[in-house]
Amino acid sequence: MSTTLLTGSEAAALGAKLAKIEVLAYYPITPAFPAMERLNKFIEDGELRARFVRVECDHSALAAALGASLVGCRTFTVTNSQGLLYMTEVAYHVAGLRQPIVMAVANRALSAPHSRFPEQGDAISQGASGWIQLFCENNQEVLDNTLQAFKIAEKCHLPVMVNYEGYIQSHTLEEVTIPEQEQVDPFLPLVRRATLDVENPQAVNTVASPEFYQDYKYRQNEGMDLALQVIDQVAAEYAQGFGRNWSGLIETYRMDEAEQAIVAMGSMISEARVVVDALREQGKKVGLVKVRAWRPFPFQKLRDILEGVSLVTVLDKNIVFGLGGALATEVKSALYGFNETRINSYVLGLGGRDTRAEELTQVLNLSESMTEPQNTFEWFGM
Amino acid sequence: MSLRIEDLPQADLFGPGNASCRGCGAAIAGRQAMKALGSRTIVTIPASCMATLSGSNQKTAWQVPFYHTLFEIAPAVSSGIRAGLEAQGIKEVQVVSWAGDAGSADIGFQSLSGAAERNEDMIHVCYDNEMYMNTGGQMGSQTPLYAATSNTTLGKPTKKKNMLAIMEAHGIGYVASASIAYPLDLISKVRKAAAREGFSYIHILAPCYRGWNIPGDQTVEFARRAVECGLWELFEVEDGKRTRNYEPSFISVADYLLPQGRFKHITKEQVDSVQESVNRHYGRGRSEG
Ligand SMILES: Cc1ncc(C[n+]2csc(CCOP(=O)(O)OP(=O)(O)O)c2C)c(N)n1
Repeated sequence: MSTTLLTGSEAAALGAKLAKIEVLAYYPITPAFPAMERLNKFIEDGELRARFVRVECDHSALAAALGASLVGCRTFTVTNSQGLLYMTEVAYHVAGLRQPIVMAVANRALSAPHSRFPEQGDAISQGASGWIQLFCENNQEVLDNTLQAFKIAEKCHLPVMVNYEGYIQSHTLEEVTIPEQEQVDPFLPLVRRATLDVENPQAVNTVASPEFYQDYKYRQNEGMDLALQVIDQVAAEYAQGFGRNWSGLIETYRMDEAEQAIVAMGSMISEARVVVDALREQGKKVGLVKVRAWRPFPFQKLRDILEGVSLVTVLDKNIVFGLGGALATEVKSALYGFNETRINSYVLGLGGRDTRAEELTQVLNLSESMTEPQNTFEWFGM
Repeated sequence: MSLRIEDLPQADLFGPGNASCRGCGAAIAGRQAMKALGSRTIVTIPASCMATLSGSNQKTAWQVPFYHTLFEIAPAVSSGIRAGLEAQGIKEVQVVSWAGDAGSADIGFQSLSGAAERNEDMIHVCYDNEMYMNTGGQMGSQTPLYAATSNTTLGKPTKKKNMLAIMEAHGIGYVASASIAYPLDLISKVRKAAAREGFSYIHILAPCYRGWNIPGDQTVEFARRAVECGLWELFEVEDGKRTRNYEPSFISVADYLLPQGRFKHITKEQVDSVQESVNRHYGRGRSEG
């Protein structure tokens, strides 16, 4: 193992390289493109033996990855924002076909208005697509989650998105420890499952009648149920093999005897750790709950963790119009009917607006000072 | 050198059990093409009649791997299939995307053009019934001038987009037209494409009797008249060299157009203008070489 400075883009590319992807397909977009270019460089330099399909659009990128996956190859793609929206039709289809494709998403705000800055709205838009979604708080986790994603995908027969934020992660150097290939290989053995195979002809995606369709969907959701266990197991196995423990579906930070909790995902987690430290210093019993897996959503775990906590402040770097923050909505539905916890929801940081420790502290102060139960959500930073 | 019916394999790799209407041109095209492609073939078909009639639930009419893709993506999926086979060192497999006229020339055009430009090692077949039959018979870019469809009931006001010229302009190695009424010509062309490396495009006229409003037992007959009147030229462009594969007998275009219900509203002037365009194209009597 060696430790070096890497951007999130480089960490994602390196993760895919260490996973020995066999086919790569993508269509350029900002801020995901440095990860793409890095992968091509690995291929050109002979460090990665993968085929690159140079498609003409994002929609075809995921389609080409799908074709390769259907003949049994380990495949990878990268995108964000408009590219992800453009891929959406194929994304649902990939999940329905149970293909273990891994996609890195350098989260970026959606148009209109045009913005190239970070936000999680693109990933959130895929919440019903059937993809497992992991969020990363720093570049080390981008690399580690990319490796874990392949294992989770192949065990659950479901595709996985690895989310990291544009610029804040994709373009920022951080210290990252890189595992050795010899460590990765036994962690990620390639088990080939070719669906399209001339030696064993099968028909894929024949028209399903009402007698069949719902059963397929039931099975597909069972894959998500399985992922609730697999994500934890894979994180534990990774911790054992690589010495870094990302705790599976959810990680808690200083939640011992916590009366208050912050719940968030992605890059805000690193800042929230600083906030929690400062508040604990002041004697406040505040803790942090990091949702690492947004799909499948860890309802049960969250309930257990938030048992006895009186105030939960949920931070959402996304907006579902007419509804509010996506994470808060899920947290409320997880806790509904189980306990009396107050849940305050804040939407902040859209399109690159700051979400540093400073801002997060202000949000917590606002949340604490709220006397009436807050039933919808509040905007922060207007 | 020329192919004979008795030389063709007996086995049908596509056909038995398919859910097409009787007299379906698309199914005939599929059966013919599979005589040339053989069992080591992976077929992708986007949303269309052909995808729908190919299988439902646990049944399939294909003896080879078949994947019913999303509407726009068959050539892109096939590109990925080829990449995946190459990555595993799996050789001697025909990778074919097989799409209707919408799946090729309209909604599917972007991925088709992309795959052609990349010169992917695959064959794309457009089976052309000149309208969107799977959704009930709307017009598209391959619908000919004046043809009535379910959403151009008075006749389409614009011309059929020339897909063969467009695909030829991609500079790919092999481009050919075919008609289900000339099976040996069709099969030899698919064979030629299969023997080549790189991207090949074959555009097959495959009438739909329902859309064209002709009797169900006349599908092949109208696929023949289209060729004999000169409106559907049988030709190929191999490495830039253009060959006309069949000299039509030049029956009048009226004999092709007027019996079809979809041209019920066509005027005499319109028929004459179509006849003139054919005459101009062939320079009548002058070989194009
Ligand atoms: C994205 C998307 N848009 C629209 C449709 C609906 N649709 C399915 S098949 C079809 C028409 C297919 O026409 P064509 O390619 O000419 O084949 P045909 O059915 O005529 O054989 C349409 C519009 C779809 N399946 N997917």
